[in-house]
Amino acid sequence: MRRVLIYGGLLVVAVLMQATWLARVEVSGAILDPLLPIAVAVGVLRGATSGAAVGLAGGLLQDLLSGGPLGVNGLIKLVVGFASGQFERSIYIENPLLPAVATFAATLLSEVLLLILGAVSGLGPGPSLDAVPRILIAAVLNSAVAPFLFRGVRSIEVRLDR
Amino acid sequence: MTELLLARRRAAIFLGLFLLAVVILTMQMRTPDRRQVGPIGSVMLAVLMPVQSAMVRIADRVAAVWAQFSEIGRLRVENARLRGQVGALRQQVAAFREAAATSERMQRLLKFREQLSSPALAARAIGRDPSRWFATLVIDRGSRDGIVRNAPVVTPDGVVGRVIEVTPTTARVLLITDSRSALGVLIQDSRDPAVVEGRGGRLLHLKYLSRTTKVSAGDIVVTSGLGGVFPRGLVVGRIVQMMREEGALLQDAEVEPAAALDRLEEVLVLLPRY
Repeated sequence: MRRVLIYGGLLVVAVLMQATWLARVEVSGAILDPLLPIAVAVGVLRGATSGAAVGLAGGLLQDLLSGGPLGVNGLIKLVVGFASGQFERSIYIENPLLPAVATFAATLLSEVLLLILGAVSGLGPGPSLDAVPRILIAAVLNSAVAPFLFRGVRSIEVRLDR
Repeated sequence: MTELLLARRRAAIFLGLFLLAVVILTMQMRTPDRRQVGPIGSVMLAVLMPVQSAMVRIADRVAAVWAQFSEIGRLRVENARLRGQVGALRQQVAAFREAAATSERMQRLLKFREQLSSPALAARAIGRDPSRWFATLVIDRGSRDGIVRNAPVVTPDGVVGRVIEVTPTTARVLLITDSRSALGVLIQDSRDPAVVEGRGGRLLHLKYLSRTTKVSAGDIVVTSGLGGVFPRGLVVGRIVQMMREEGALLQDAEVEPAAALDRLEEVLVLLPRY
């Protein structure tokens, strides 16, 4: 229960920050999405189930506050969190490069899923080469904060395990 | 065996969550505005919206301050650019004014040349005697242009002097205010002859004027044509002060040159008629 509350609080803070502050700082159309590295970190550190749950909860919160259709981000981050869990305990987070690489790959996956989902549901523009630079920049932005968020998630886990 | 069970459990949970997300998303698609948050979503929104609003206000405030700072920087750059533009435009205006003034002077000079009986050549003053000992002027025309020694130099306002030295491309003019200069004149109204000579100062000295002649300050002095240098009738200056000595047969006067000798820019050199 304590874990749920702490992660719930972390997700709420991250979603609020993303929706109110980070969304204003666009870099060539790309926006930093801290929920993605968090879902990846939880998946890597605690396993696929936890990663999927945190991804789904964070994504649904994001949808709720962003005003978009509920479930788009939830579904995508669920998949990303679960996929990250396949590398459980196999990423050495003391090396900042590995969380960054994992987040970079996860961002690419999430953007590809978003484009596919947009095309299937008719909510988005569908796959386009024009989106490639924005996706790459978003991946770089998320990768840049990933080492810090991985360490943050790990310190939460260490405290909860005590 | 346990590992297999765990993997199946994981897959089952994932599938369950996946289906949940798909169901939620599908429900959205069915609603007209593609947005149906439900009772739980409404409660969460009711709790989170005030926080979100407060954070948005903070972000707005920060954005406003940032915009103000960036505006100051932008204004500074624009101010510097505009100052530069003002400087350039001022220079342009000064150049245009100068060109207009030159054009006006040249027009007056041309008009005056048409009135002259002898041929004349326009010249530009390019140098002055830096010492105060001699009142001379260098012009940008010389023997190559037909200028000869003793050629009279005038402006539309009056007599300037005569050429005393000629090179192929320049000539030196002795101004009428130089102490070596003297020329025969007439009082324009009374036609009484006299001589005007320079004294090295701003004014000319008129002498050898008969005591019986009635002259007063303001009378115009013109060249007499005697002496063979200046043609008759060119304005030399205006009497500013009379000097009569008790018992003397002649009277003297101070004459102010008609031409602005201290700020000459263009002059006309009268050429000999062949």
